Amino acid sequence: MREVFVVGIGITSFTRLEYPLAEIAAYPGMMALKDSGLSKVDQVYVANMGGGRVNHQTGLASAVVDQLSLAPAGAETIENGPASGASAIKTGFMAVASGLCDTVMVIGAERMREVNDLESTDFVATLTHPHAEYIYGVTLPSLAGMFARLYMDKYKVTPRHLGMVAVKNHDHAMDNFFAHLHERITLEGIIDSPEASTNNPFVADPLRFYDCCPVSDGAACVILASGDAAKKTGKPRIRLAGVGQATDTLAVHDRKEPTDLLAARGAAAAAFKMAGFKPSQVDVAELHDAFTILEIAESEEVGFFKKGEGHLALEKGETRLGGSLPINPSGGLKAKGHPVGATGVGQAHEIVLQLRGEAEKRQVKGAKTGFTCNFGGFGNNVVCLAFKKEG
Amino acid sequence: MNIYGYKCKKCGTVHYPFRTTCKKCGAFIFEDKADRYQLVPLSKEGKLLTFTRLRSLPGDFDVPELLLGIVQLDDGNRITGQLDIPAPKLGMKVKGEIRVVRQEGYNTHRGIVFEAA
Repeated sequence: MREVFVVGIGITSFTRLEYPLAEIAAYPGMMALKDSGLSKVDQVYVANMGGGRVNHQTGLASAVVDQLSLAPAGAETIENGPASGASAIKTGFMAVASGLCDTVMVIGAERMREVNDLESTDFVATLTHPHAEYIYGVTLPSLAGMFARLYMDKYKVTPRHLGMVAVKNHDHAMDNFFAHLHERITLEGIIDSPEASTNNPFVADPLRFYDCCPVSDGAACVILASGDAAKKTGKPRIRLAGVGQATDTLAVHDRKEPTDLLAARGAAAAAFKMAGFKPSQVDVAELHDAFTILEIAESEEVGFFKKGEGHLALEKGETRLGGSLPINPSGGLKAKGHPVGATGVGQAHEIVLQLRGEAEKRQVKGAKTGFTCNFGGFGNNVVCLAFKKEG
Repeated sequence: MNIYGYKCKKCGTVHYPFRTTCKKCGAFIFEDKADRYQLVPLSKEGKLLTFTRLRSLPGDFDVPELLLGIVQLDDGNRITGQLDIPAPKLGMKVKGEIRVVRQEGYNTHRGIVFEAA
């Protein structure tokens, strides 16, 4: 298997974007080409979940490759729910590692705000089990709410801990120009004060408004290259060292222990094994905090903290910028935003920026290893990536 | 009316929802048509494992909020359903009934709704 490097990155703001989906997708592709100095690539993979349903556009990759005038490069659209982004990176990794391609452009793009919030909620809810969950009105926030209630009861996690994740990630996003939410929040405003119930109403109790990520438009891109092709670009040598994926039951009630996220555990273990380093050696991580409870649970499942102790590390500030393991320096899905298909690529973008030392005010000093966890469905399909700075 | 589980004829594991291959013994449940599994009505009584009050609903629901829960049934299976319980509590005894749970255009979906037992 050949080594795979990231030689170019690009991103749009994660927000509401009033451009056609294919243009949103092409923009970070253009930025990444500029970043890498390349003018063409062998293959384009475009991760997208809702084009067909929300934007009336299928076969997005064909539109994007044409937008970028990269034809006749190969192009495929990849859909794997909210883990589409990391899945597309995994596919790009396989293409370069196998020797099939020397340079691959991986784009993640989504335009969810073309429809209203009721429709986008329903669109994401189509991820749930059609007969055993969806018909009851089950949506992703409701699965997260049921998970959170059980988890908080079992591990003594309080609403304040959830609030701490939100406050931390909102703080981080203040220094990220491309983040969806530039809004500093406090525990007083969202939990403690009498106005908290108005500021921060319940969405799927115990989860409140500020426990949930926003619905975003946006796109991100990474260009992967083989060792030789990467050397020619002269870019910092950021190696995609580990790729792992694992799946779990579609219906959440079907899991033996509903507070376990076995897919996240398995995907992380596989990524670390391939990368040859341990969770304790990670300098910076981007986790899939679509709901605040997930950042806590994932930080345990991927191996950073013992099961049931993630909220204690959070409490001590270990996961904040400046702490021993900063999680979601970009603001995470919580504050950077969650354009579903783009999220996994956005996470990789942040890690590459951090490892290059180009993250400016939110830079994790001396970061040499990075990790991402992209969580599809409600934990039924998870893709983890491990990155390493070389030389 | 009942909600049915699918019992693998080889090892006896009951699956809900349906799956084509048994999770426990790997038997192809669909092989030989329906010969490999047996429909068994799931129990309608059990304990409330977890729940949430959902206040952001898909557009086809014309109610302001919906109580959803996962119930550990007395027969050992688990099921997701709606709750018709004013103040649910973790671990409380519940009893289910099949009702209309969703009207999506012309499609009427029936499913299980739990009340306090």
